[in-house]
Amino acid sequence: MSGQSHTRSLRFALVAVPLLFAAIVWLQTRIDAETATIAAQKDELLLRSGPLLKKLSLGYDSLLADIYWTRAVQYYGSKVGNAGEKFELLWPLLDITTTLDPKLMIAYRFGAIFLSEPGLGANRADLAVELLKRGVAANPDDWQLDSDLAFLYYWHLKNYPQASAAYLEASKKKDAPVLMKMMAAEVAAKGDSFLASRAIWTEIFETAQDPSIKKNAFQHLQSLQAQQDLLELDKYAEDYRNRTGRYPASAKELYESGILSGIPLDPAGVPYILGPDGKSRLDPKSPVTLDKVLNR
Amino acid sequence: MSTVPGVVAINTFREAVRDRVLYNLIFFALMMIGASILVGEISIGISRLVIINLGLSAISIFGLVMAIFIGVGLVHKEIEKRTLYTLLSKPVKRWEFLVGKFGGLLLTLTLNTALMTLGLAAALYYVSGNFLRADFSILVAVYFILLELGLVTALALFFSCFSSPMLSTLFTLGIYVAGIFSADIRDIGMLTRSPAMEAAARAIYYLLPNFHNFNAITAAAHGDAIPVSLIWQNTAYAALYAALVLVAASAVFSGRNLK
Repeated sequence: MSGQSHTRSLRFALVAVPLLFAAIVWLQTRIDAETATIAAQKDELLLRSGPLLKKLSLGYDSLLADIYWTRAVQYYGSKVGNAGEKFELLWPLLDITTTLDPKLMIAYRFGAIFLSEPGLGANRADLAVELLKRGVAANPDDWQLDSDLAFLYYWHLKNYPQASAAYLEASKKKDAPVLMKMMAAEVAAKGDSFLASRAIWTEIFETAQDPSIKKNAFQHLQSLQAQQDLLELDKYAEDYRNRTGRYPASAKELYESGILSGIPLDPAGVPYILGPDGKSRLDPKSPVTLDKVLNR
Repeated sequence: MSTVPGVVAINTFREAVRDRVLYNLIFFALMMIGASILVGEISIGISRLVIINLGLSAISIFGLVMAIFIGVGLVHKEIEKRTLYTLLSKPVKRWEFLVGKFGGLLLTLTLNTALMTLGLAAALYYVSGNFLRADFSILVAVYFILLELGLVTALALFFSCFSSPMLSTLFTLGIYVAGIFSADIRDIGMLTRSPAMEAAARAIYYLLPNFHNFNAITAAAHGDAIPVSLIWQNTAYAALYAALVLVAASAVFSGRNLK
């Protein structure tokens, strides 16, 4: 009798459980649709105090820091490309992340890039400087953060004395490459220079372990190469005009005139285009993108 | 030297295994597998860090839950099932029974922690493809977690000697949280600028078990070396504090009327 009862219960469960589960899924879909507007507004941070969160984490602060860093990356990724985006939660998220784990180097290094980039980031080089300074204070033996700080001063803020000082500071630290001292001298002497920028991105490309960081550095290196090439090509086009009285119609014409020894290609192997105004540019089909608009 | 605590400990361990306590390892394994696969997809450059932080935090949390919830029931269960009376009618002293119970749960927690550590190592190897010399800090962090669990087990056992499992859980959790904030309590005392308050806060600071001592998760995740001096100091601290709590528990339990 008991066996029969058990079989009956089992059969009932086999039917009822999937049915109830299907009903739950249907109901959840309805609730999701109902609360879609609320979900769209949930772009907020309930707790903005890093020290408070550190206390509330009950000792699991480094795990919480990983969660906040992931949140910062997701936030940045979801906003990047939106016209006029101000990335308002980026700084609080990075602030909390680095308060929870002051040794999370990636948060300082990539966070500074997210904050400082004018088109693809928050365009807040001042906050990026603050973040990196905080990183340097918490990790005084690490030369990379000083190097990143120098790059910020150099590239975004055009503050060459500060950039040189930061490179010099980096050069004094353990395991710092000789390049840091060279950079300090280079930046101090020349100011805005492709050479310095290329050296920094090359260093990042060669030392980064993470594929996404490596890819980012590679893209910057390609951009720098293209910027340098375009300025050079402009000069050759000007030479051509001085000789013939008009701008060359194409890069091929420059090559055929003997000014160039070959058809000029961008770092992705796509030929550059010459405009009727003598200004060179990237082929729209090229995967290479320029970091900034060239001043010419 | 009495062998009674050892016999009780082995039986407590067997009972825990019989009660399917180690089933939590399945959840741990599933979590680590999920994290290993997902972590690279949702963040940048912190795969190793996440695996270490998540693994060590889970080892700590799972262990704490086991230590508290099993610890508070160790004495109560024996009284409820009336097996304690049979046991104490034999030449078994009450303190021997308590020390045995403590040892048995600690043995269970040690096995559980060791297996979870193996799971963490496997996930770490899957994510990064190698082990670094600095990963030795992870083992030290696991050892510190085990010391913490020992202390929590002793506290749970102490409270279970004179109160119900529900209250013992609340007391143990309360002491654990207060122990994490003990340094803050001391600092608040200093802020009051009252010598009496400062002395009282300092007394509380020393009285509460300082669980913050045993937190080496961040250091392990970043591969920072943990000083040998800290290892022996923490070991001695946990051993002395657990001994103190067990002595107090024995005193309370000896005086308890079991009729």
